[in-house]
Amino acid sequence: MPSATLLGQSILSGVFIGALYGLLGLGLSLSWGMLRQVNLAHFALAFLGGYLTFQLSNRLDPFVTLAVTVPLFFLAGVALHWFLSRYAADTLNTLLVTFGLTSIIEAGIHWFWTADFHRMDSVYANMRWKAGIFYIPLPEVVTLGFALLLCGAMWAALRFTDFGRAARAMTEDAAMAAAFGVNEKRLGYVISGLASAFAAVAGVCLALSHTLAPVQIYAWMGVVFAAVMIGGLGSALGPLLAGLLIGVSEAITMAVTAPTWAPLVSFSLLIAIIVLRPAKF
Amino acid sequence: MKINRRRALAAGGALLSTIALPTALRAQGKPIRIGSTLPLTGPLASLGIIHKVTGEIYVEDLNKRGGLLGRPVEWVLRDDQSKPELTRTIYEQLITADKVDLIQSPYATANILAGMGVAQRYNKVLLHTSFGIPRLAKYEMQFPVSGSAFDPENVWPNLIFDAAAKLPKPPKTVAVVTSKFPSVHHISAGAREVMKKRGLQEVLHIEYEFGNRDFGPIASRVKDVNPDFLWGGTNGIDPVLLLEAMKKIDYRPPAQVHLFPAPGPMLKMPEAQGSLALTTFESHPPFTDDPKIAEFVKTFGERAKDAGIPYTAVDLQSAIMYAAWQVLEAAVTATKSLDDKTLAAWLKKSEVKTLFGTLSWNGPQNYVEGRDVYKVKQLQQGKWFVVHPTQWAAPGAKIT
Amino acid sequence: MRVAAGFAAFALAFAVVPFLGLPAFYETFMYLLLHAIVLATSWNLLSGYSGYFSFGHGAFFGAGVYTTAALSGKYGWPFLPTLPLAAGAAALLGLLLGAVVFRVRALRGELFALLTLAVTFVLATIMLNTVDGGPGIQVMAAIPKIAPSASGTLYLMMLAIAVGTLWISYAVFYSRFGTGLFAIHDDEDVAEVMGVPTYRFKLAAFCLSCALAGLAGGIHAVFVSYVTVAETFSIALAVNVVLMSALGGTRHWLGPAIGAIVITALLYACTAGEVAVLGRALVGVILIAVIVLMPHGILGKVLKRREGPVVHPAPVAAPAVITRSGPILVARAVSKAFSGVQALSEATFEVQRGEILGLVGPNGSGKSTFINVVSGHYTADSGSLIFEGEELIGRAAHRVARAGIARTYQIPRPFPHLSVLDNVALPPMFGLVTMDRASAQAQAWRWLEFTKLADKAHRFPSELNLHQLKFLELARALASRPKLLFLDEVLSGLTSTEMDEAIQLVRAIRDQGATIVFVEHVMRAVMELTDRVVVLTYGRAIAAGAPRDVMRDPQVVDAYLGTAGA
Repeated sequence: MPSATLLGQSILSGVFIGALYGLLGLGLSLSWGMLRQVNLAHFALAFLGGYLTFQLSNRLDPFVTLAVTVPLFFLAGVALHWFLSRYAADTLNTLLVTFGLTSIIEAGIHWFWTADFHRMDSVYANMRWKAGIFYIPLPEVVTLGFALLLCGAMWAALRFTDFGRAARAMTEDAAMAAAFGVNEKRLGYVISGLASAFAAVAGVCLALSHTLAPVQIYAWMGVVFAAVMIGGLGSALGPLLAGLLIGVSEAITMAVTAPTWAPLVSFSLLIAIIVLRPAKF
Repeated sequence: MKINRRRALAAGGALLSTIALPTALRAQGKPIRIGSTLPLTGPLASLGIIHKVTGEIYVEDLNKRGGLLGRPVEWVLRDDQSKPELTRTIYEQLITADKVDLIQSPYATANILAGMGVAQRYNKVLLHTSFGIPRLAKYEMQFPVSGSAFDPENVWPNLIFDAAAKLPKPPKTVAVVTSKFPSVHHISAGAREVMKKRGLQEVLHIEYEFGNRDFGPIASRVKDVNPDFLWGGTNGIDPVLLLEAMKKIDYRPPAQVHLFPAPGPMLKMPEAQGSLALTTFESHPPFTDDPKIAEFVKTFGERAKDAGIPYTAVDLQSAIMYAAWQVLEAAVTATKSLDDKTLAAWLKKSEVKTLFGTLSWNGPQNYVEGRDVYKVKQLQQGKWFVVHPTQWAAPGAKIT
Repeated sequence: MRVAAGFAAFALAFAVVPFLGLPAFYETFMYLLLHAIVLATSWNLLSGYSGYFSFGHGAFFGAGVYTTAALSGKYGWPFLPTLPLAAGAAALLGLLLGAVVFRVRALRGELFALLTLAVTFVLATIMLNTVDGGPGIQVMAAIPKIAPSASGTLYLMMLAIAVGTLWISYAVFYSRFGTGLFAIHDDEDVAEVMGVPTYRFKLAAFCLSCALAGLAGGIHAVFVSYVTVAETFSIALAVNVVLMSALGGTRHWLGPAIGAIVITALLYACTAGEVAVLGRALVGVILIAVIVLMPHGILGKVLKRREGPVVHPAPVAAPAVITRSGPILVARAVSKAFSGVQALSEATFEVQRGEILGLVGPNGSGKSTFINVVSGHYTADSGSLIFEGEELIGRAAHRVARAGIARTYQIPRPFPHLSVLDNVALPPMFGLVTMDRASAQAQAWRWLEFTKLADKAHRFPSELNLHQLKFLELARALASRPKLLFLDEVLSGLTSTEMDEAIQLVRAIRDQGATIVFVEHVMRAVMELTDRVVVLTYGRAIAAGAPRDVMRDPQVVDAYLGTAGA
């Protein structure tokens, strides 16, 4: 039986990684659920954001780089939406186009930063707190904070603001929403822009606490897709909750038994949830 | 890593020079064409580029010296995208369609196996740089140039524990953390046997999947048992991830080995200092006593920088590729032949001196058993130094 | 037969390649193409045709790889006998998964994709920790000498499987099975009500898809000769087959194969050492360009252009003579509640053979629920529904259709991606008398003529107006030659001239021998058309009889005036 320290520290670790799944999943969930665009390039964008932060961190504080990357990515998201809504009518085609975009961004990263691993040095990397018997590293807390903040804010915005009501109406029935005066076009640009901006934030978190390499773009796809789909498309909190579920269940498995079995536990759990409780979704 | 115009120009120049290559050759006659693949894209691309730069330097130098058998050498290099099935197909193309004279090593166990199958079908000699599981190499004309023994799962753990015994506080308890990456997993399995024989106590044994993202729980488990020595059956970026995860919970094992870490990212990490790792070659004396090798180390540093490789010192990866070309050159020069059977026959009964020691192939499956040319290096103040065995140790370097 | 000859000729033409003495590279490269063709085409059998989007093709491929690798590499089996087991293991996995998943109606779209994705991870983890153990498996099986070289043999085997897969893809595409799958893709509930055994079809398509992927995996294990979990169970494979199919066109049997060839060849073209990285970007650019220029895939255009001739069939046969009399359908105390609301409350009445029965009542009185219960869409909580002496309650919807009951939808629910002709040709394939596709189409022309839609036969439903859509609903319901036909508000939303046309049509239908239950709000039509009327309120049948008598019934007047009449 693992000690309380081990178990607690592992659960914390699972929470932190789960938060990153949620943060990466947020933009994906929005564009998939609301715009019916499966944006594979979201992962490439997040890593591009990470690389940009890494590049700028010579001169700027990593968090200050957000002032550059967030507006830049918002515009990229707007441009992407323009392109997709004009040229990729159905969901499957958005998948294809964004896969193509992923290849291009990956090649660009490979060209500029090489295929080698990069790690960002920052003053934050070594900061951590000790809370009782547990250690809490700053970069991870920041990731969790960003995830809670953005997913929470997005959830609240969708629920309580006119923008949110319009967005939800559009998700339910685009034609009906348009009839009630929802400006579907503008809304689409805003959502796509936001989704990409979230990728920039996720990028900073990746750069802060993970390794950057072009191939890593694909390493996150499976698990984040799972989090998005189990969390519910178009949902802001869903991916985060699902991400936490995956992260924590894997971390506990790793703490008490062979880490190689971790995916079995988390994904069996997902399968069980889907099959046994379909009514919920 | 900086991006600058120079890099872009260098890449463009490289592109142009391939087109212009035939006229630039200095040696005379019809070129000898040597074909191979490397993972220039895909998961192994960060290592593939090191092999590419090394091979280019060697071939360039070879041609300056007059080529092979008085003929220029042309290296036909293609990208296998880190995929075994493409490796297989491209080797078949190189041998049967492009009709290259000789073939050279691809990179990584699975790809080498894929290439080996092709070599076997067409009776080509295959030198290989990075084959992790020697027992699987069953073709009689394959020759390892990595310097590995036939039984690395026995030789390497002994080498490492010999080195560890020289630590200020020799370890008694060991925690084994190993990736399921085929080659390192194989070595770690052997290490557990070796530990039993040497009377070391295994206090933890955990295996994780290669590509694991969350090292937090693993780090916590290591901390929980607090071993004298951490055996990291790790490669690539995993050592860094594991070290960071341990740092986050304020833990540092008294001593540790990580079998094949990506050398660059660990350098500046304070918590990585003192880590042991395996190598064949490091860019310091006595390796660089040979002026030819010193020259190579210098050229590699420049070229690697131009190619954007972050770690520009010559180490294991670059050295095994260099050795592959050294062995090929030695065999062709000694036999004055491009015939694969002749080359293989010569290799089986000969020894070749490479930049990291003398290689021979007279043991089981063209390996040697029970010994090899591997060394243990240690990260000290941001640099890797060979510390064991002592005849290869950097001047004044000691295991700490 | 001509098609079979075409496939045979194609297979033979490519089968000679290993014997031509070409450099072995060509057969190996073509092996890679064929391998991609098998994977993409097999994926498309389920995911493209039926719309159940699998993200786990890697798992089924991997099941095949590891079956052969384990049996051949670890236990020394000869290579060939492992292949049926490789296919079988993958099919069994698909069968088990499908048996669970397809029973749950809500598991469509993303959830199915997620499930199959999760299965990939689970299977990979199990393989890594059990069969493989970590170091990978070397597969050094002796390859039977069919061709001069080993790679030639593997090529021939993959060729055989590829031709087989394409043949299956083609045959399914033009069969009842395929039409059923396409209907499932568009509207699964309607497909079931039209008689498509959706559960069995999905399961069969899934197993077929998995088995082919597993078979390809078994051969590929020997091709790569050393298998590892990371390489085998990759998400890349799942993404690639989707890309290939979508690029070629998922709604064409040959589409995925075309996509597979294009993508595999493109990737191979980028292996030259100096341009490898640029090549990757180029692949991305080409992919985007293709989608922009050909949004329905390379073969999507072919489908759109498929304009056939308008066929004028022989005039509609003479009306069938109603020989027997007595009730065709007897409803006894049928009840159905939805979360507390009693939609049907012991509804009891009979439908007489050959009559037009008007089923009327205020909004929410249970008319539509009744139709949904009869057609098998809902299962009644209690009571019995005897159709020609047999109990309907508890029967799957497609078996109700088989028994000879058809319906229309109040809001037309055509299959949007099927042409008008195919929409109408579907029910005869699954109705009372099941027909093959050709005779079903001949039958469909008849009903298109009957409903005056023949000149729209090759259009898609999105190109029709409401009036035409309603008539399409009718044509579809009629095409199965039902004994009992439920018409759910076919007149609502029509102009009065259109309505007159429709009323004529309903009469003509009855004259052909069908019994009709006519649900309608338009009282004029009810009075004009029906022989008898049953009035429902609060899920209960309160009156039955000749239209004029019933409408004078004080209880009925009360029900109407009390609720909807105001």
